Parts: sequence; structure tokens; C-alpha cells
Amino acid sequence: MNAHGLRPDMPALSADRLSVSFGAKTALSNVSLDVSTRKIVSVIGRSASGKTTLLRAFNRTNEMIAGARTSGTARFHGTDLYDRTVDPVEVRRRIGMIFQQATPFPKSVFDNIAFGPRAGGFKGDLHELAEEVLAATGLWTDLGGDLDAPALALSPGQQQQLCIARTLAVRPEVLLMDEPTASLDPAATARIESLVHSLKATYTVVIATHDLPQAARLSDMTAFLDAGELVEYSPTATLFTNPRTRRAEEYVTGRTS
Amino acid sequence: MSRGDIAQRGAGANGSQPRPRPAANLPALGGRRRWDLLAVLSRGAAATMLAAAAGLAGFLIHAVRQAGGGSADGAPHAGSGLWETIGPAVAGTLWFVLATAALALPVGIGTALYLEEYAWPKTPRVRVFQAAIANLAGVPSVVYGVAGLVLLVHGLSAGRNIFVGALALGALALPTVVATSAEAIRAVPNELRTAAYGLGATRWQVVRHQVLPAAAAPIATGTCAAVTRAAGEAAPLLVIGAASFATFAPAALGDPIVSLPTQIFVWAVRPQPEFAARAAGAAIALLAILLGLNLAVLVLRRWLRRAFP
Repeated sequence: MNAHGLRPDMPALSADRLSVSFGAKTALSNVSLDVSTRKIVSVIGRSASGKTTLLRAFNRTNEMIAGARTSGTARFHGTDLYDRTVDPVEVRRRIGMIFQQATPFPKSVFDNIAFGPRAGGFKGDLHELAEEVLAATGLWTDLGGDLDAPALALSPGQQQQLCIARTLAVRPEVLLMDEPTASLDPAATARIESLVHSLKATYTVVIATHDLPQAARLSDMTAFLDAGELVEYSPTATLFTNPRTRRAEEYVTGRTS
Repeated sequence: MSRGDIAQRGAGANGSQPRPRPAANLPALGGRRRWDLLAVLSRGAAATMLAAAAGLAGFLIHAVRQAGGGSADGAPHAGSGLWETIGPAVAGTLWFVLATAALALPVGIGTALYLEEYAWPKTPRVRVFQAAIANLAGVPSVVYGVAGLVLLVHGLSAGRNIFVGALALGALALPTVVATSAEAIRAVPNELRTAAYGLGATRWQVVRHQVLPAAAAPIATGTCAAVTRAAGEAAPLLVIGAASFATFAPAALGDPIVSLPTQIFVWAVRPQPEFAARAAGAAIALLAILLGLNLAVLVLRRWLRRAFP
């Protein structure tokens, strides 16, 4: 990151009139919201409403897509993530991301976990670290401690757990989760959900989801995006029971015209 | 399994299990015979291919036996074994394989990496560069020989040696090496890159630890094919100036050009039948070398697949 210190008193993440476009297509327009430290924020909305783009804007992965343009500001503890002095590689180490499709590297469980820390110059005991993050994700007992198991031999749910574990191994402060359970069966979804719940004590989590009950179960705050705009950002209980806007009410009650 | 099997199994299942409806209402599973023109044509093509390969091998062996006066070992005349006549050329060809690979692989694979991983976003200039490389792959091999002759032999007075020949062959192989490597790199799933970048890896780390291992096996296959293809070329070396008869095996890159393809050409254009036989013998040796190289690549690829699954 840059020389200016991060300010713990500032929100972990904050967007101010953040807009992202890809070529002529606007994916996100004028979104402003704050994500407090060690809270879980859900981002809900239809497909192509900008959920993924918002998440990716916070760890600077939109710029890996051709034609992406970002305006407005996105901050991490007060530091502008798009400042010229900020290194996107360092941003991604501090703000980790979990993708909808679990993509373990076609290597062993250990190599999957070791990749991130090694890339970041980790000097400690990688086996100890692997055991710790696997235990945190609940995969350690499933694997019976077998770190050499090929990652692609795991079940889809376990693969997603592994992807979360390898992200935790980089020791980020924020986790961005892009529909992490969208391609999982209910049992695996429940496992990931309880994992997310347990992460709340240590991490700030932003989770994009199609699954409204999941958003209601997990999050402290919920943001409803529609066509790239932030329609409503309220405490989760408010948004689901007594939304301030009609558009949010229509969406959470299923009356989507 | 043929269509008949399916029909029979269907009938058996109908007979043994409780029927929801009278069998008369169920249409039978036996279908019409379908003509598949492509299946016929593709079988024909494969048979033609096989016949062509067998014909080539048969012709070469026949030519050697005929002109060699019945000696089965392919020796054109008494007192001179096959190895004495083609040994230097075999050694020269192996030199060319190694030198061509050493020149073309680093530059070619490096260029492909630049085009696919570093030149991003793709500016018009990069696209023009890419199109130029694709078109270079279609340039006839003799043109590379002329370029080598004019630029290196006459222009830089570099001499008519193995190094200059290998430069021409390397340039010949280069566009194909770039194209096949780029193809292999493009085939690496983007999710793998995104996941690696997402874990805070630098571009070099992503390329070194994810992209290259995933692309290694197809890169090896494609590039080695390009190199062996180039090493089998006669035209560029003849234009640069190959020795018409090699009496000693080359020992250094500065030695005169000898190779099997040029030797085959030199012998084949002589009127005497003994030389035709020598040419055929040398052709068999060349094919054996190329086959051996392909087998080596096969082993290498299997190893790469296992090392980087």
C-alpha cells in the first residue's frame, strides 16, 4: 500500500460516488457506502446489477478486464485504493476475494494454500499456517490432515472451503465473497455459511448473494443494487422487514416486475 | 454398441418389468438406419493416410535394395558402410536440431508470453505485430535461406557454417513456435489467473507458477514439432551453401554445413542409381531421427503432464 498510514477509526471500506464502466456499458454508477470493520455486509440484486463489479472495485480486479474505467473513490481505512502510489498487488493481499466458481489450482491442497503466502514473501512455517487456515475453514478434519491430497479431487463444497482457506492464508483484513455458495448444494452452502459467520470475529466481510435468506441470516447490513445503482443500504433487519424504498420492497418480497 | 443392441435391451426391459401401458401403445425402439456420410469419408481419409505412409516407407526401402545390388543393409557399394557415408550428415542434423531449438525456443516462447500475458490491453500495434508473426508462418523456407545468405553470409561475412544455417532454420521455426505457444498460453483458463492475482501474486508469479506449468505440455508438443520440421528442411541450407559431400562430422558451430536433407538433395540429383540409393538410405535415417525426436517429445510431454497436472 502506500506510505500514508491506514486509519483504524475509518470504515474498513468506503465507496464515494464510485462508478465503473466497461467500454460503453456502465456497470456501477455513483455508489456510495461505508463498510464498518468486522461487520458482514450483503450485496443483493438481480444478475448484472453490479454486485460483482462493486466487490471487484474494492480489490482492484476490475482493471484486469479490457476497457474498464473507474471513477469516484474507493477507500480502505481512509486510503484511496486508486491512488497512484498504491500497489494493486498489495491491495489484493489486504483485501482478499472469493469467487463464485471455486478454482483451486490443479495442485495439492498444500500448494494451493502455500501459493499466496509464498507470493507475499511469507517466512514462517507454511505447514503450521496450512493447518491453521484449514482448521478455521473446517477442512482439516475432512482431509484427515492430508495436505498432499490433490485439490481437484475434493468435492465442490470442499473446493470452495479450500479457496477460502488459501485466501485466509494471505492474512487479509477484508474478505470479498462473490456468491460463494451459488454453485453448491444446500449442505455445502450451510457449511460455508457457518464458516462465514465464524469469520466475522476477525474479518470484515462483503458478500454478494442471490440468496436472500442467506443475506438475512448472515449480514449486519444489506445493500440492494439495481441496474448499477445503490437503491438502498440499510441494516439487514430493516431492509428485509421494513425497507425504506419501494424498489427494495418489491425485490425482497419477490414482486419483481 | 450398435442400434440393434439398444433396441433389444429396450425390448427386454419391456418384457420383464411391470408395464404402465399396453405394449402396443409404446413405439418400438428400433430405428431407421442412418447414413453418416462423414463417417464414411473420414474412414476413407484415414485409410488413404495409412496407405500413403506405407507406400512412402515401402518405396524408400525398395529403392535402397534395388540400387544397392541386393544388400539388405542399404550399403550402396561394397567397402563402404551406410554409416561412413551418412554419419557426418546425421551428426550435422543433430547439431541443427539442438542449435535451432536453442535459438528458436527462448525467443519464440518469450514472444508468446509477451503477447499473451504482458501486452495488455492489446493495442493496435500489438495486433499488427501478432498478424505479422502469423503471416511469417506462411513464408516459404527458401526465403529464409535467401535472407540468411544476403544478410549473414554476404552482409556480415558470417561464413557458410552451421551457426548461420541454424539462424535461418531458427527464424523459419520461430513463427510456428510463437503461434503454438501463444495458443497453449491462451488455453490456460482465465479463472486460474484471476484466482492467483486475487491472492496477491505479481504478474511474474502468476506467469511462473500458474500459467507456464499449465501450458508446458502443449508448448513442448508444438514447439518441438516446429523445430523438427525446420531441421528437416534442405532449401534454406542449400541456398546458404551446404557442403556437397561431408567427410567428417561437424564438431563446432563454425564448421561447414552438413545435414541429411542437403545430403539427400545432393545425392538425389546425381544421375547414377547408386546415388539414388544413398539418398533413399539417408532419407530413412532422417525419418528415423525425426521419429526418435518425436518419441522423446512424447516422453517429455508425459513427464510434464505428471509434473504439472
